[in-house]
Amino acid sequence: MVTPRSRLIAAALILLGALVPARAAAQFLLVPMDDEQRNHLKAYGLTYNAIKDGLRAEWFLNYRGGSFLLPDAADVRRRAGLDGVTVEPMSAARLGAIRAEIAGGNMDAIPLEKAPRVAIYTPPNAPPWDDAVTLALRYAGIEYATVFDEEVVRGDLAKYDWLHLHHEDFTGQFSKFHIAYRGAPWFIQQVQSAQTLAQQLGYPNPPALKKAVAERMRQYVDNGGFLFAMCGATETLELAMAGFDVDIAGNFADGTPVDGNADAKMRWVRSFAFANAHLEQSPFVNAQSDIDGHQVNVPGRRQPLGTFTLFSFSAKFDPVETILVQNHRTVIPDFYGVTTSFMRRVLKPGVSVLAEEEGAPWTKYLHGNYGKGSWTYLGGHDPEDPQHGIGNPPTDLSLHPNSPGYRLILNNVLFPAAKKKPLKT
Amino acid sequence: MRSRSARRLGLALSLLLVSLARAGAQQVTGAEQRGLLLEQDEKFREAAAAYRAALATAPGSVMALLGLERVYAQLGWPDSLVPVLERAIAAAPREPALRAAQIRTLRSLGLTDRVHQAFERWTRDMPGDAGPYREYARLLLQDGQLRTADSVLQRARTRLGTGRGLELEQAQLRAAMGEWALSATSWYEALERAPYLEQAAILSLVATPLEMRPAVRRDLLAAGRNVAARRVLAALELHWGSPQDAWRMLRDLPRDTATFSAWSEFARRAEEAEAWTVVRAALEALLRAQPTPDLALRAARAALHGEDPEAALGLVGLAERGLDSAEAAVVTLPMRLEALAALGRAAEAQRTLDAYAAHATPELQRRQRAIVAWAWVRAGDVARARALLGNDATAEASEVTGWLSLYSGDLAGARRTLRVRGRATPELVTALALLARTKADTSAATGNAFLTLARGDTLRAAVAFEEAAVSLDDARTLLIAVAARLHAATRDDARAMLLWSELATRDAEAPEAPEANLEWARALRRAGKHADAVQRLEHLILTYPNSALVPQARRELDLARGAIPRAS
Repeated sequence: MVTPRSRLIAAALILLGALVPARAAAQFLLVPMDDEQRNHLKAYGLTYNAIKDGLRAEWFLNYRGGSFLLPDAADVRRRAGLDGVTVEPMSAARLGAIRAEIAGGNMDAIPLEKAPRVAIYTPPNAPPWDDAVTLALRYAGIEYATVFDEEVVRGDLAKYDWLHLHHEDFTGQFSKFHIAYRGAPWFIQQVQSAQTLAQQLGYPNPPALKKAVAERMRQYVDNGGFLFAMCGATETLELAMAGFDVDIAGNFADGTPVDGNADAKMRWVRSFAFANAHLEQSPFVNAQSDIDGHQVNVPGRRQPLGTFTLFSFSAKFDPVETILVQNHRTVIPDFYGVTTSFMRRVLKPGVSVLAEEEGAPWTKYLHGNYGKGSWTYLGGHDPEDPQHGIGNPPTDLSLHPNSPGYRLILNNVLFPAAKKKPLKT
Repeated sequence: MRSRSARRLGLALSLLLVSLARAGAQQVTGAEQRGLLLEQDEKFREAAAAYRAALATAPGSVMALLGLERVYAQLGWPDSLVPVLERAIAAAPREPALRAAQIRTLRSLGLTDRVHQAFERWTRDMPGDAGPYREYARLLLQDGQLRTADSVLQRARTRLGTGRGLELEQAQLRAAMGEWALSATSWYEALERAPYLEQAAILSLVATPLEMRPAVRRDLLAAGRNVAARRVLAALELHWGSPQDAWRMLRDLPRDTATFSAWSEFARRAEEAEAWTVVRAALEALLRAQPTPDLALRAARAALHGEDPEAALGLVGLAERGLDSAEAAVVTLPMRLEALAALGRAAEAQRTLDAYAAHATPELQRRQRAIVAWAWVRAGDVARARALLGNDATAEASEVTGWLSLYSGDLAGARRTLRVRGRATPELVTALALLARTKADTSAATGNAFLTLARGDTLRAAVAFEEAAVSLDDARTLLIAVAARLHAATRDDARAMLLWSELATRDAEAPEAPEANLEWARALRRAGKHADAVQRLEHLILTYPNSALVPQARRELDLARGAIPRAS
């Protein structure tokens, strides 16, 4: 909220700025992130690459949709021009006025210091176009490395600040696609590759390997890493971590049926977000558990899509949550995924709900801390393709440069760059 | 002034009266008729009073009740209908229209629990009837409550022992739930009972995702499935961009009335989709079975659009059978002349025109002369084309005359007469841009270049435009750009790239420079030189930031960098 006092300060600073002799060039570039911005997604790439090049940046939380402040450098202007990113030259006096406005309202300025080292967990040779995060990073021009089971088991995760998981099934059951696709060549090849890789890495079957991978990811977060997961990876990672020593995979995946007492044996203390979920044990029902509210692949249970609303947080007291919901829209159309949403009743205490569908029993976007690190889950597959199916053409983000859904992904990528400020308690 | 909606309502009400009277389905009472007339005059309060009076004497009157429902909706009093409905249902408990109106009304008031209660009461009162399940499921589908709709339909199957009468709702539900193959089956079953649902089936199934289409095809083509299913599938294939597959669905059907109807409908849809090859195939198949001049003429038009003027001529011949010369001059002659013009058979076109001259009106003759003039242009004889038009100053003739001036190198004459009349073709846009750019009044080389292009010789036209550029300095860059575009169109990327690069580097101030950079970059990308393409595009965006081509350049840049999928 803008108070009379902050207005006075702002006016004084503007007057002061008018008295200072004008300088030849602006000293800063403001990257507005409200409706004035022509390309929101590339604005994140501009900021990321400025930090990577050693420039100091700031994130003005809740100021004009979560704007960025960058130094007025030739390279920054050039890149903004090439990418069609709107920038506004900013004098020191004008900046002073903005800072006063930020100080007086539910806003904050967060320094962005170090470009995070980004890794995406994806199978080798996977096309980059079936994963919303990869699409977003490539479009924004943010560099990333890819890792898969071999690298994770080897301990390579320690090299990265940020790890993304998409629709991998960490229960090792191939998203139960055998129900619909068991004769499809791509599915047969996927199963064979997974079995071969498991044996090469010393595991008896894919479920055993995936559980080991999930355990490494749990340790990665525990040791300070940041994990961002979407779609089916959210739910199955939780199941794999909690079911570390329980047979939760069906006969078709590991040769033995699911432990009939699996629900009771799950150790939810090991998971990040959920507790007391019920496993879907039937091999003929395309769902993993009752965590997902929408159950898109189970005809009798499938729920229609609505819209989800981003919560508003206190920028000065909850900067992390505020960063993750920076957007120029607060209500966003929902989109399906293998896991679309997260039922409220299975959330652990302490989990921050960042977005939910009003009146529905599910949530959409979650965040929490675990050990020294933190994690974020976003349900659904592709924010701009609400009913994306296998074989559908990939999303062309040049047609969606202002996508509010994709902004949520990119908020997460820049989040580890933010310097933590001591809370004003 | 009465609104259009009021006129429509009036028409509908009149039709209702007539149909009721004809069918004798229900005696229209005086009060009901008065209500209808008042409603037609938009006197809704008075109409409501009339309908209420009718219901006072006959509480179960469907006509009065539905009239009251309409006028209460207009007056914003839907809640007043609830007690009236209760009385009506008590009077005529087995009347489905009253039950459906009750469910509709309660739903419009947002009384969800009471909707459900009304549905339950209906099922109890009429245990063997599919009506309650159908109406309730429809409302639930409209509200997106798929799971509840599914439960209702499952319950109907259990209670009634069959899904008959609920196929439409089942089909819509399956589609909404993404169960496309099951939806296709349900739609087929619905079509068996109600063929008029064909369009609804197509609209529903057209949203089938790519990976589910094989299952829908398989299901619609399952053994025993007949013309109805194939008609739907053919329309779907057209929508999905596979016109040849669409025609394959229908072409081998047994020759009977149903098949001919399917072919005719398919040809109409394909004409809308401008899928000319299959339009022609379908019409030719129909022609073999039921030859008519109209079909032959439509097939000829399809052949002409499909760039097969030779075939078009043959079909025009079929269309002419049975027509006398006077009829042919009006019905088929324009098409014959267009086909001959496209083939460059100018002398034959001229002879044909002369032969029919006695049968055409002066207006028709003028239009036909313009077509034949184009035939002479196509044949390279501008003088004959000009002679044919003479001093004709009508719009059709002026357009051709403008082009003829340009072809002769008379730029001043072309500047006076060449205008956009109707659709602006790329050639016309280029010609007008040239005439606006240059101050020269004559240029034989330029005229020759445009004439060569009009004759359809793109390769030689490209060279001719390069030669014209040498002689017309103030339009040099424009002519070079045209030459480069033509070289690219003939897949001579090497020559096109050379011209684009010259324009981009030597004529950086020219209006064509941004286009040159963009096309040069595109050619580089096609040649796999992505780094060079990126450099060129960056140069374009940064040097000409206000160019209208910058958005295209940014997209090309994304493609060259691999930032967006290539297939898109």
